[in-house]
Amino acid sequence: MNSVNESAKEARARVGFDQVTVVIGMEVHVQLATQSKLFCSCSTQFGAPPNTQTCEVCTGMPGSLPVINNQALQLAIKTGLALNCEIARSTKWDRKNYFYPDLPKGYQISQFDKPICGKGYLDIADANGAFEPRRVRLERAHLEEDAGKSIHDESSRGGNSKIDLNRTGTPLLEIVTKPDMRSAAEARAFLTELKLILVYIGVSDCNMQQGSLRCDGNINLHIEFGGQTIATPIVEIKNLNSFRAAERSLTYEARRQFDLWQQCGLTIDDSPKQTRGWNDAQQVTTMQREKEESADYRYFPDPDLIAVSTSEEEIAAIEEQIDRLPAIWREHLSEVYNLKPYDADVIVSQGRGLVDYFREVADQCGDSRIASNWIGQEVLRYLNESGLEIDRYPVAPRQMAELLKRVVSNQLEQTRAKEVLNEMVASQLSVAAAIEKLGIKAVDHDELKSICQQLIDEHPEVAKQIQDGNIKAVGRLVGKARKLNPNANPGLVKDMILKFLGI
Amino acid sequence: MSEFIDRAVVEQVARLARIHLSEQQLDASSKQLGEILNYVGQLERVTLPDDVEPFFGAIESVNAIRADEVNSSVDRDSILSNAPDSDGEFYSVPPVF
Ligand SMILES: [Zn+2]
Repeated sequence: MNSVNESAKEARARVGFDQVTVVIGMEVHVQLATQSKLFCSCSTQFGAPPNTQTCEVCTGMPGSLPVINNQALQLAIKTGLALNCEIARSTKWDRKNYFYPDLPKGYQISQFDKPICGKGYLDIADANGAFEPRRVRLERAHLEEDAGKSIHDESSRGGNSKIDLNRTGTPLLEIVTKPDMRSAAEARAFLTELKLILVYIGVSDCNMQQGSLRCDGNINLHIEFGGQTIATPIVEIKNLNSFRAAERSLTYEARRQFDLWQQCGLTIDDSPKQTRGWNDAQQVTTMQREKEESADYRYFPDPDLIAVSTSEEEIAAIEEQIDRLPAIWREHLSEVYNLKPYDADVIVSQGRGLVDYFREVADQCGDSRIASNWIGQEVLRYLNESGLEIDRYPVAPRQMAELLKRVVSNQLEQTRAKEVLNEMVASQLSVAAAIEKLGIKAVDHDELKSICQQLIDEHPEVAKQIQDGNIKAVGRLVGKARKLNPNANPGLVKDMILKFLGI
Repeated sequence: MSEFIDRAVVEQVARLARIHLSEQQLDASSKQLGEILNYVGQLERVTLPDDVEPFFGAIESVNAIRADEVNSSVDRDSILSNAPDSDGEFYSVPPVF
């Protein structure tokens, strides 16, 4: 018996990680951008003093009745349409029963068998080709109310927990994928693209710090072993509070499951689904205590709420409101503006505001490559450092285009143009005013000639090197020209010196 | 179908609902719940035409919806006064973990 086990273990030890398929599905909770809660008119504003945004309905007082928020329905349908989901013509509400102090009613109003959004999909790709493009199928997206917030006594003295019910009843859309992702990088790309779409269509601010977007990952491995495919037990990693945490925890978990399988050989048939948490400090997943009989939620239709039906006209009207999605913009910037996929992605992934800024600058300055370079580097650097969005960037698209026109026409050389831009940002000046303030004057042809002649006269040894074939040495003279006159265009200086030297 | 439902089922339902039932109550519930289920179960013997859609509520109307408007919430002191324990800001509950 022992030797049989031993040989099976040895055989497992010979399996490489490259014979493993990682299988990942995600569950994402998105807080919809409504003013009021899902079933009552309390505010959803984040950060209010504890328990100041609750009422009889969201605290589950006897005799109170929930009424569905129309805007939550509209935003859910809009999301479903953007994610290629089937939209239910009729949807209903169910109670999910469990006890927890932050759930005052003893049940959560959710959707069990008739979710508002059915099957859909989201396509993911990597601009650098890190993985093959993939279609991630969506199982469903349903509306539900959020629970409150518990603050536990961390002193380990067993003090009481504090409960804030402000968040109770806030509308959430839970988006569930099929297990279609094959690496942690794909899972991260899915989350990134999903968030981008949600922000583009304006259904959620997706602020992860404020809990507007929360994700859980389900992962197991399919291993080719002994002529068949073996599946390891499924693990759900809860409460991933950043995309980086999602990627790292899934990477860690895949490896942990593989090591465990090599050690013990446990398969999906030997163990029920397990819940683990991500410990960011130690970069490991840890076992979480199972809620007793947690899976038995005893869903049943909520007798306080009636079904909602949605007409074709309503759905068509919501579809009208959806502007171009990120994938379409990437294509547009590549095809119409000739950007490389990577450069298009840099702009599109910053949000719709930067796409519009880029288009305006590119259209007006007439050179989309230069516009993309300057926006991708100078503008984004400023936005990243300041933490501002593009709508607060001090240089308007028209002014940026004016500046870049001068770069395109060689009136301003790159380094000088960057100084001008910095001045425009700092003093909110127009291009012309910034140029004047910096004392930049166009250098006329005669002066340029005399500068070049002077450099050749003062540095005969360099001139000789150049004439002997060391063309690169001209760079040293170009550098010196800048000192004689900072407005001298290096490109023109270089050409003229070479011409003077007969090259 | 038996008049009674399995005591183990009654015990599990009681546990999920956080209700303690005495031996006597378990016996009584097992009988009473069985009777209720049998009564409702008669519906399963009705033959329906194929095109009947499931029916989820006692009201036939649909779409009782409200506009997304904020109205004032209930005053905190008054809502917390319903709780067994609070510190004036938060509900206070026995430690969860
Ligand atoms: Zn309320």
